[in-house]
Amino acid sequence: MSGTNIVNVLSVLLILTSMLVVETRKLRMAAYMYRFQSLVLVTIFLSIAVFMEAKPLYIWSITALITKTFLVPYLIFKVIKRVKEQEEGVAIDKKLTIILAVGILALSFAVVEPFHMQAVLKLRVALAVSIAHFMLGLLCILASKNALKQILGYCLMENGSHLTLAIMAYNAPETVEIGILTDAVFAVLIMTIIARRLFKDFGTLDTDKFTLLKG
Amino acid sequence: MEKSILFYLLLAVPLATSFLAFGIKSRRLVEAVHFAGISIEAFLSLQMVQYVIREERLFALGDMLYADSLVAILLLIIGVVGFLNGFYSIGHMRYDISRGEIDEKEISSYYGFYHILLFTMVLCALSNNIAIMWVALEATTLGSAFLVGFYKHKASAEAAWKYVLICSVGLAFALYGTILTYSNAFAMVQDAHKAMLWTELIKMAPRLDQQVMKLAFVFILIGFGTKVGLVPMHTWLPDTYSESPSPVSALLSGVLMKCALFAIIKYYAIALQAIGKEFLETLLLIFGLVSVGVSAFFILVQKDIKRKLAYSSVEHVGIIATGLGVGGTFGVLGALLHAINHSVTKSLLFCTAGNVIVKYGTRDSQKIRGIFKVAPITAFLWTAGLLALVGSPPFNIFISEVVTVIAGIEAGHFWTMILFLVLLVVVFVAFFVLISETVVGSPPEDLPKGDVNWLTLLPIGILFVFMVALGLHLPSTLSQLLQRAVTIVLGGTI
Repeated sequence: MSGTNIVNVLSVLLILTSMLVVETRKLRMAAYMYRFQSLVLVTIFLSIAVFMEAKPLYIWSITALITKTFLVPYLIFKVIKRVKEQEEGVAIDKKLTIILAVGILALSFAVVEPFHMQAVLKLRVALAVSIAHFMLGLLCILASKNALKQILGYCLMENGSHLTLAIMAYNAPETVEIGILTDAVFAVLIMTIIARRLFKDFGTLDTDKFTLLKG
Repeated sequence: MEKSILFYLLLAVPLATSFLAFGIKSRRLVEAVHFAGISIEAFLSLQMVQYVIREERLFALGDMLYADSLVAILLLIIGVVGFLNGFYSIGHMRYDISRGEIDEKEISSYYGFYHILLFTMVLCALSNNIAIMWVALEATTLGSAFLVGFYKHKASAEAAWKYVLICSVGLAFALYGTILTYSNAFAMVQDAHKAMLWTELIKMAPRLDQQVMKLAFVFILIGFGTKVGLVPMHTWLPDTYSESPSPVSALLSGVLMKCALFAIIKYYAIALQAIGKEFLETLLLIFGLVSVGVSAFFILVQKDIKRKLAYSSVEHVGIIATGLGVGGTFGVLGALLHAINHSVTKSLLFCTAGNVIVKYGTRDSQKIRGIFKVAPITAFLWTAGLLALVGSPPFNIFISEVVTVIAGIEAGHFWTMILFLVLLVVVFVAFFVLISETVVGSPPEDLPKGDVNWLTLLPIGILFVFMVALGLHLPSTLSQLLQRAVTIVLGGTI
């Protein structure tokens, strides 16, 4: 199997894990799924680094391993421990989310079709997956009514855009990649801090109960 | 002074001030450090503006940082308006402590975050690298999150949540736009460093792939558009601006929003040469007019004075987008001038609203009556600010709105401009009603007479001077900067 094939196969695995994050009702399970997915993502980074001979991606893989499989899940688990497992309300019906997810996937493949840039040609499947991934994250935020689940949705969006970055800009300077990852960790850190405060103030993470500001 | 040192100082001063502020326990000392920090930063930005006027373009750190006239305008806004909002913070936060809104112990972290926010905004302005610019803008959201949720109310927590989530999600779209632009440029130059520099991108803009740049610009407009508050990505904005401490609202609306706006303008300049005017014109006119229209309605129906002002920020972003959409020399000039004018006027109004809230203890426009009898200076500033905001002469916003409308008519958008003016009349009526309700009439009887102290009035007074001065006469330095910035945006070399 050629290197690009490995990347493409791994990215299909990625989309399966993100579907699981979106669909599962249990927060703890979703967080584990996210951690597993990040591990797949790091493997993809490494494969691209090897096959495309993109040195900056080695550093990117290591930093992604630290931040995405350890730091971010750690932050999320800490909040889960505090708020206990909560039954999560859904804003969009389960069947509908699956249909939407399939639609997103199809759309992503259509979007990458006209791209003729050299870097992209071989990894078109992976690129389509990365964009689909990003949109699935957005779907996760819109479909769920739990603040923590929405944070996980944001993490999915990040994984998607970071994969796009690795595919389309695998040779970008390290400073840029480190900057982007640092932002990502701080974003999750700050979101979890605010989520804890919401829980303290409202006694729930159900976003339907945050209704002081309207109009 | 060595020129590249100026770049480093501009970044180091707010960062150092922030570290200091977090470490200091005494309120008086932290206020002094904060005041020194914002003063030095204002001085440094003015210094940089002078250099730019003399030398047109400066670089530092292997071209990663740069300053030209476009950057200088943003830097001027950050330095000067950031200083005045910071100055106002001192008086306002003292009131908040005495009103029991915040603990005296927490004041150090307020100033600490204030300077982190300043640092990220300056980094965003000076970045030549488009990815670092994105990183800095995302960091502004994170830096300001704690300022937005600074009060202990439940509503503040809710506002901070909406702010961080929606803006981060929005900015994620802008990251896509950034990546697309980069990979497009990289395919041409095969140089990872150059393909990320804005000054290089603008040079190769005419040769970039049209399809990809179209997609990139849409992503950028959605992404950074969320941060400036274009409809329909504005939903976080009224909550955030109304729940933040007033000086923070002033900083967010007056300065931070302009950072995201200038990021859009930088991509606008690239896209203008890559894909031509037509696409941008349609896109920006639609976003602009819808923003003005939707916000006009909301300004009319809101009761909360700060929410009214927040929706008015959406309106003014719409006006700026309309100017950019019209394009051409006058369209872009109108947009840039309006950005400056809005910063001055909106900062003045949010700070004055802060004084009104300190006095009345409410933001409800139905309960605020007779400001003139209670606090005459505040009433004067409030009235003048609101009149300026709706575009009455002789204030600054009148000028930039006229420039925008003339540019629109000249570019053949007669009916669009008529619609635009009709919407502005709606806003005029809404704010005129607000003036007549709040300023005159008899105040609640138990309200003690007397204005707020000079610390909270002086910075607003200075903003007032700017507001009038810019309405009467454009200083030659500023007009030179604006002319050059317009040339840069329209793709001419200077």
